Amino acid sequence: MSLVWTLAIRGLTLLGVLVVVLVLLVVALGATGFSDKMLKAIVGEEVRGIRTGLAQSIRDPDQLEATLAARRKDLERFYGLERPWYSRLSGMVLRVVTLDLGEARTLRSFEGSNKVTDLVLERLPYTLLLITTATAITSVLGLWIGVKLATRVGSLTDRLSSYLSAVSYAVPAWWAGILLILLLAFRLRLLPAGGLYSTPPPEEGLARFLDLLWHAVLPIATLVLVSIGAWTYTVRTMVLNTAQEFFVTVARAKGLPEGRVMGRYILRVAAPPIVTNLVLGLAGSLGGAILTETVFNWPGMGRLYYDAIVTADESLVVALTFMFTLLYVASRFLLEVLYVTLDPRIRYGQT
Amino acid sequence: MNPRDIARVVLSTGSGRVGAVFLAALALVSLFVLVRFPLDFGSTRWNNPAVWADNPKAAAPAWTRLWAGDGAVGHAVFEAAQPSTRGLLGEGEQRDYVFTYDYTGGKLPTFMALAVSDVRFTSRPPVLTLAVRRPDGRVLTLSQTVVRGPRPGEPPPYLRHQDAPLRISLSGDPEALASVKEFLAQEYRVNLAAEALQGKVADAVFGAPSEGSPGQFQPLPGVYVFTLQEVAGSPSDATGSVKLVLGGSVYGVMGTDALGRDLALGLLFGFPVALAIGIATSLFATAIGAALGILSGYLAGKTDLAIQRLSDIWSNVPLLPILIFLIFILGQKLWLVVVIMILFGWPGLTIVVRSMVLQIRSGQLVEATQALGASKGRIMFRHLLFQIAPFLFAQMIFFTPGAILAEAGLSFLGLGDPSIPTWGQILESGFRTGAVYVGYWWWVLPPGLLIVATAMTFVLLTLGLEPVVNPRLRENR
Repeated sequence: MSLVWTLAIRGLTLLGVLVVVLVLLVVALGATGFSDKMLKAIVGEEVRGIRTGLAQSIRDPDQLEATLAARRKDLERFYGLERPWYSRLSGMVLRVVTLDLGEARTLRSFEGSNKVTDLVLERLPYTLLLITTATAITSVLGLWIGVKLATRVGSLTDRLSSYLSAVSYAVPAWWAGILLILLLAFRLRLLPAGGLYSTPPPEEGLARFLDLLWHAVLPIATLVLVSIGAWTYTVRTMVLNTAQEFFVTVARAKGLPEGRVMGRYILRVAAPPIVTNLVLGLAGSLGGAILTETVFNWPGMGRLYYDAIVTADESLVVALTFMFTLLYVASRFLLEVLYVTLDPRIRYGQT
Repeated sequence: MNPRDIARVVLSTGSGRVGAVFLAALALVSLFVLVRFPLDFGSTRWNNPAVWADNPKAAAPAWTRLWAGDGAVGHAVFEAAQPSTRGLLGEGEQRDYVFTYDYTGGKLPTFMALAVSDVRFTSRPPVLTLAVRRPDGRVLTLSQTVVRGPRPGEPPPYLRHQDAPLRISLSGDPEALASVKEFLAQEYRVNLAAEALQGKVADAVFGAPSEGSPGQFQPLPGVYVFTLQEVAGSPSDATGSVKLVLGGSVYGVMGTDALGRDLALGLLFGFPVALAIGIATSLFATAIGAALGILSGYLAGKTDLAIQRLSDIWSNVPLLPILIFLIFILGQKLWLVVVIMILFGWPGLTIVVRSMVLQIRSGQLVEATQALGASKGRIMFRHLLFQIAPFLFAQMIFFTPGAILAEAGLSFLGLGDPSIPTWGQILESGFRTGAVYVGYWWWVLPPGLLIVATAMTFVLLTLGLEPVVNPRLRENR
């Protein structure tokens, strides 16, 4: 019972986050007159379409203008432009939630569609590919090195790693990416500086996939490099904290092999906070993807966000802000579920 | 703990000492900038192309000459307010401004420009003639200019070029081009089409035509004497200053960007801006977070529940997308960025402060104070706030780099405040114009390094503050 209760509370809180962000979005759009501007643009577009159609049948220019003005009035009523912005809020929220955000102004999907939904769905896999691969590499490496460091507290490598973790907090991933491009792509010409595929892209399946991986090396390396320091240090500290507990001493006193003590007694207990940090890092790198993808011209959601800003495409910016929040909230909920499954104290209701 | 104790503990750790030295350096540079730079530096100078017109574009720092070995030529600016010689000439006066330039060879200067400002005359406008005597003894007259004469009905004295100087870009000047063409034909018997000479005026002035490849010039090292002759209509006419610019292939301490802006100045201006962003954000976010945390922990009940739910939700809002969205919609203002970061920065602290307050509240000190009849406000301020003050201070320092990095990231996306240059914006312009892909490292490395160093300062201070927050660490020392 308490498990469901805990998850329900967290779920509600995260739902609250979505609601807050949504309200923020629509109020900011409405109160600044942005939504009026967006809707007027849509109406203008449709009226232009109607004009070309009507120009075939109605010859008299005065009559044409009169008909068009009437149609424009209808459209404005349909979109609610004659009402103040706050009375349109509910409709806007619904449209944002269903990602029915109309069309991007200049950006097109690879298939040529300009629907925001198509664009977002097409770019999403590339972002997920980048972030999940980087997180997987970071977590495996970090766990391995962190556990190693915890067994060698106070050694030179240990102290070095604590400084490295401090540095990695201060180095923005996007700048590290620029450095790597300067060094590896420009100076040494080892790796491609950005993009998805070489030009021209390879045709067949495997070669194309390998080319994609080849282009992903630099962005993934950047993401791993900037997060590995802090992550290793977290693992090390968590493992150390648990290793000082009495039950670990008892396990050692019983003569259990060190590998078993580490695996069953220390890591099993230290796992929940470690996983928390991992998923938190994952959720955090979602926002960071906006910058990293921009640096590497990686056509994921982040790069799309940048392009939307550069082309001043309001509907796309709104949709992406909501999508990023949605993804963030979803990964946070995943974290809660994982946490509950991993930590028996929460599962059995002893908070 | 009082502030002096905190300082002593921080300075007793290695990272705290390094952090303190860094912070002192940051503060000193910021102070220097605040004293020496105009506050509207961004709009009146940094984003004003006229200010940077005489600088070479995308030039590396001058000190790269030490190892580059490609014979880079330095930037040379000659300026004079008084002529070297003056003599009467009929009713008027002839004034000669003489500039001597010792050209050591290597690369040819990248461009040449002449500027005259603050001209005042009463009858005839002054005539300006620029000529150069080269090391091989040949003399080349480059340009002759007349300052714009009186308009019909304009009363004397006639004032010209008070605000913006009369600027002649000799490299692109058709007249200079024509005289160079004639000079080459006469002196070297080399006939080149005007198109072949386009943009090569400086090459021709400082070099001799190559034998093999037409249109190319061999550098001719030696002493060049430039003479700007001004013939004024009357001895009482005055000219404020004249300036001759020989464009280098390297410039200054930090080089220039593609618009010729002196990067050293932009980077310097970024110091106080970064500090202000970081400190303002962390100060106010900590204040709000602490106030709500104390209220929530001490008042308990409905207030507690409301504040806790609110901060639970608020702390889960992803900052960067919201920041991008709001700045995109509301406009690119730096103060707005700071306000938004404050508004979304407090909840994490509130949750921690509340749990600390809960602990202190159940202690004997608070109980005793309550028994003595102290008011709620007094307890919260005097006994709760003072006890957690060292922790709050550490949190404030810890929060600072996050704000600086967030602003840098936002600026990098092109959403920086155009009237206030920051390091993130310098990086952005470098990245957007492709400096990374052509290897203009001096444009992207220093701003990034400064961002990292500033963030690092506060990270080190946070490490140094750890014993303050966690007394167990202090006793172990």
